[in-house]
Amino acid sequence: MGALSHFIERAGVATTSISLIRAQTEKVKPPRALWVPFALGRPLGSSADPEFQKQVMRGAFDLLTTATEPTIVDFPHESPDEAGPGVWACPLNFDPPADLSLTDQLLAEVARLRPWAIETRRERGRSLFGASGATIDDVDDVARALGHIAEHGEVHRMPPSDLTWRFKMPLLIRHLADDLRTFYHEALAGQPGPGAPNHHALNDWIFGGTALGKVFLAVADHLTEADDGMAKLVRGLLIPEGHYQGGSAFPKTKEFGADE
Amino acid sequence: MVRLSDLHESEAAHMQARADAMPEIPLGEWVTPKPLSESTVAIVSTAGMHRRDDPPFTVGATDYRLLPGDVDFADVMLSHISANFDRSAFQQDPNIMMPLDRLREMVADGEIGAVAPRHYSFMGAMPDPSNFETTGSEVGRFLAADGVDVALLIPV
Repeated sequence: MGALSHFIERAGVATTSISLIRAQTEKVKPPRALWVPFALGRPLGSSADPEFQKQVMRGAFDLLTTATEPTIVDFPHESPDEAGPGVWACPLNFDPPADLSLTDQLLAEVARLRPWAIETRRERGRSLFGASGATIDDVDDVARALGHIAEHGEVHRMPPSDLTWRFKMPLLIRHLADDLRTFYHEALAGQPGPGAPNHHALNDWIFGGTALGKVFLAVADHLTEADDGMAKLVRGLLIPEGHYQGGSAFPKTKEFGADE
Repeated sequence: MVRLSDLHESEAAHMQARADAMPEIPLGEWVTPKPLSESTVAIVSTAGMHRRDDPPFTVGATDYRLLPGDVDFADVMLSHISANFDRSAFQQDPNIMMPLDRLREMVADGEIGAVAPRHYSFMGAMPDPSNFETTGSEVGRFLAADGVDVALLIPV
């Protein structure tokens, strides 16, 4: 983010930035940055409080008049709705018969969540599902495709499907996974109760025994067995930090993560 | 919250290593903008955001996507490759990453002059951000051509 500030200012356009990872901003030294104490993915701090969002924006805009050299200022307030409940339990009881295949277990979970995903979509008028190339009506096809990869270990061959995917393998795996994670998260947001879990609570739940978590980990093991750099990178893009054998799924020699 | 101490230790180490490896980028000529109330403002995001029929971002992408100032959020999605940030807030309210509604309110209140006709999204997760020099400079020139005075840069 800070580097872009430098490049954009060269055209005579003043920039002011939000900073999430202070250590990185300190290194790149953009002209003006407001460091905020919010979770990754929540740069303006609140998804429920427009005034709070504007307060953060004003903090960044104020630097346009106060800074005369590269400056980082700390935003003094925590988010009023940090990131939803951090400890969370799904009211649905997922307990598929153990003799079902992984794909069928996943399809059963998707079916249980579907009414809630539809409810959220109706209420919001939008969905983030579909980065893989699928439409929202294709969620079962996405589940079958990822389930097929988990069961057969074919991480370089396109999964059997009539859909037109927007990525090649193995990168497609990461977007099939993200579409399913989005479907689950949007479904949970539609349920009555305390609201959707935050990023960490969602992942603790997914990897704590859902069929989706089992599928992710089975695919991760196949990516490990594939023994090539791209497959290992995709493993890191598939499994969030802390959920692959208790640590990072990224290969040690190549590092990618969230934003700067 | 993003204090390195709040992240999983492997992620905190990764973020610190990324910071240590980042190059120093020389500061250009200092730009002093006109008053905000007279300024046209654009947003530049690194959330890997784009319209549904735009090509998605892929690993190592240094290119960008355009978002018109009146974009329909129902048409906006994310194809950022990282599994390590919360997407639920954007699902709930896209303004948390792309605050176009907030900019419009600030124009109505006289806090800023105008909302730019075009906004931009890159995808972060670039180990060496100097790789953005070509496309970042390009976006700077396009912003200037659109009469933009201030760019608000928002990471993810």
